[in-house]
Amino acid sequence: MQLRMQYRTLVVIAAVAILGCGRGTKPANEAAGASASAAAPTQAVTEYARPAKPSKQYRIGISIPHLANPHYVGQAYGYIDEAQQLGAQVTLLEAGGYEHLDKQISQVEDLIASKVDAIILAAISGPGTVAIVEQAAAAGIPVINVNVMTDSDKVVTRIRSDDDVIGRMQADFMGERLKNGGNVVMLRGAPGTSWAEIRGNAFRQRLKDKYSSVNVLGEQYSQSTPVDGLRLMEDFLQTYPQISGVYNGADSTAVGAAQAVKSAGKAGAIVMTATDFQIDTEKFIREGVITASVLQQPVTMGRWGVRAAIEYLQKKPVPAVMFTGLMTATKDNLDTLDLTTVRAPAGWTPPVR
Amino acid sequence: MPAVIVALAIVFGSINPNFWSVTNLANVSRQISILALLSLGQTFAILSGGIDLSVGSLLALVSVVCAQVMKEFGLVEGIVAGVAAGGLAGLVNGLIVARARVPAFIATLGMLVAARGAALTLSGGLPIAGLPREFLVLGAGYIGPFPIPSVVAVVAFVFAHLILSRTRFGRYMYAMGSNEEAAVLSGINVAKYKMLVYVASGLFAGVAGVILTARVISGQPTLGEVQELYSIAAVVIGGGRISGGVGGIGTTLMGVLVLGILGNGLNLVQVSSYIQNIVIGAIIVGAVYVDLARERRRR
Repeated sequence: MQLRMQYRTLVVIAAVAILGCGRGTKPANEAAGASASAAAPTQAVTEYARPAKPSKQYRIGISIPHLANPHYVGQAYGYIDEAQQLGAQVTLLEAGGYEHLDKQISQVEDLIASKVDAIILAAISGPGTVAIVEQAAAAGIPVINVNVMTDSDKVVTRIRSDDDVIGRMQADFMGERLKNGGNVVMLRGAPGTSWAEIRGNAFRQRLKDKYSSVNVLGEQYSQSTPVDGLRLMEDFLQTYPQISGVYNGADSTAVGAAQAVKSAGKAGAIVMTATDFQIDTEKFIREGVITASVLQQPVTMGRWGVRAAIEYLQKKPVPAVMFTGLMTATKDNLDTLDLTTVRAPAGWTPPVR
Repeated sequence: MPAVIVALAIVFGSINPNFWSVTNLANVSRQISILALLSLGQTFAILSGGIDLSVGSLLALVSVVCAQVMKEFGLVEGIVAGVAAGGLAGLVNGLIVARARVPAFIATLGMLVAARGAALTLSGGLPIAGLPREFLVLGAGYIGPFPIPSVVAVVAFVFAHLILSRTRFGRYMYAMGSNEEAAVLSGINVAKYKMLVYVASGLFAGVAGVILTARVISGQPTLGEVQELYSIAAVVIGGGRISGGVGGIGTTLMGVLVLGILGNGLNLVQVSSYIQNIVIGAIIVGAVYVDLARERRRR
């Protein structure tokens, strides 16, 4: 009896664990970003060639938020493949989601303790990773920010997309399609990340400046998963039947939102813009549910991260800010895009530690 | 269990000598200090026949309250407010469990969900940055060679141990957990002491939340996911009985050490984080099984 009770308790505990995963959202009025401030480049490098293979085998530790988004799988491929080309040894750690800041910090601490030569960090939180970056710097280990920035000037370089442009491109697309006025909702992405802040703010600003007939009805932050996108979009459609456009800071929410739009029978009637290009995004563009997506080049981000680490370790100058390129995908150009810098090769799986 | 810990340490140390480095030992102790503090409250709750599922979410609520008050009023005020927020949430748990007689599992499950919601509401879902730099010391500083979070955890362990072994409150926790009816019949004010249990658990979560906030020098409404489950795991791995009455600070310490050393060691010897979860899951069940088997043999 005793044993059975305990078993039941454990089952319920497991159920609670699943319950506990329900993610919160935020009200629409707080657009001010805390973490965007640290990433205001003036002159960014947009080309970064592979250096010569060094004679020494460097050990590079990499910490990324998660691998549940194909964007990060592409980035992981960039890291691993580039490290192979340059003879570096890589430890790739993922924290299991944007909600696990404490885990990312522990992982980076462990990287510092195992005395890697350099650390590449896609930060779960801009303000939240300041302390750990400074700890690494104090231990003499250079930190390179890729994709998501830390609010600290102790990082060696920042490699990312021009998130400002990603927001503006979506706004331009939306504005052109909704020339006669429209009502837009925004799925911003993970709260506290540089990308969600910069892209979303740029989108809003551009609409305000250039397309004043397009209103923003509401915005929500969430983890970048399809489940969150689906849930938020369903609720948005209930709240605002007049929606004519949807902005997505990340394509994982877009995939969920597209499902909601499609089930509501509004495919094609609502202009949907997204960021990135996972397989489902491509599918939804083909079906005409997602109208356009701005493609980042995560594979390139990964490659540049490793290149920058190695150049820095060889005491060569490393630019302070680097922007990887962007492309736009619409139904018309789907089959002509060069995706080698966007996705990992089909079937490739990351060797996670 | 101590033998297991030593064995783990030797294995990890022989694969990656950095395991024994001072930096890393400081790391391990700093990393486990949060779990350690939560597990102390959990020990009280489980020992007294209850459970506290809210401790993970409380980390987030405490973090947000602490950061907001700190920005508004100052360093000390923020720290006090954070700990108080934990205590207050614990008091609510306690009132619901002891006075309204809602089972602890349900009451604290409600708090788990509600506290997360409160943290997200207060912060608008965004991290709260711009805390004073001096606050960082609490998360990253040292007293001699010892990281401050670890020192706080050790002090809390001693304190909790004294409560359990030297006070009436401590004895009553065992009594309530072994047989609540008997405790009532022997004249113990069960409602009062139950309430104290959850207040204590909330306060421990408050201290943990403040330290974690210092570690990330920002208020973070998403902190502490599933930490409540790890705190329960820490209690039972060491030998605490899930239904109450058996266990203590010593056994919980063992549980915390096993989980902490495993997490850090597996990272250092480069075991995939996916496989780590499988290993930890197996160890939770395995440890309890071994414990039960030994108990049965003794009878």
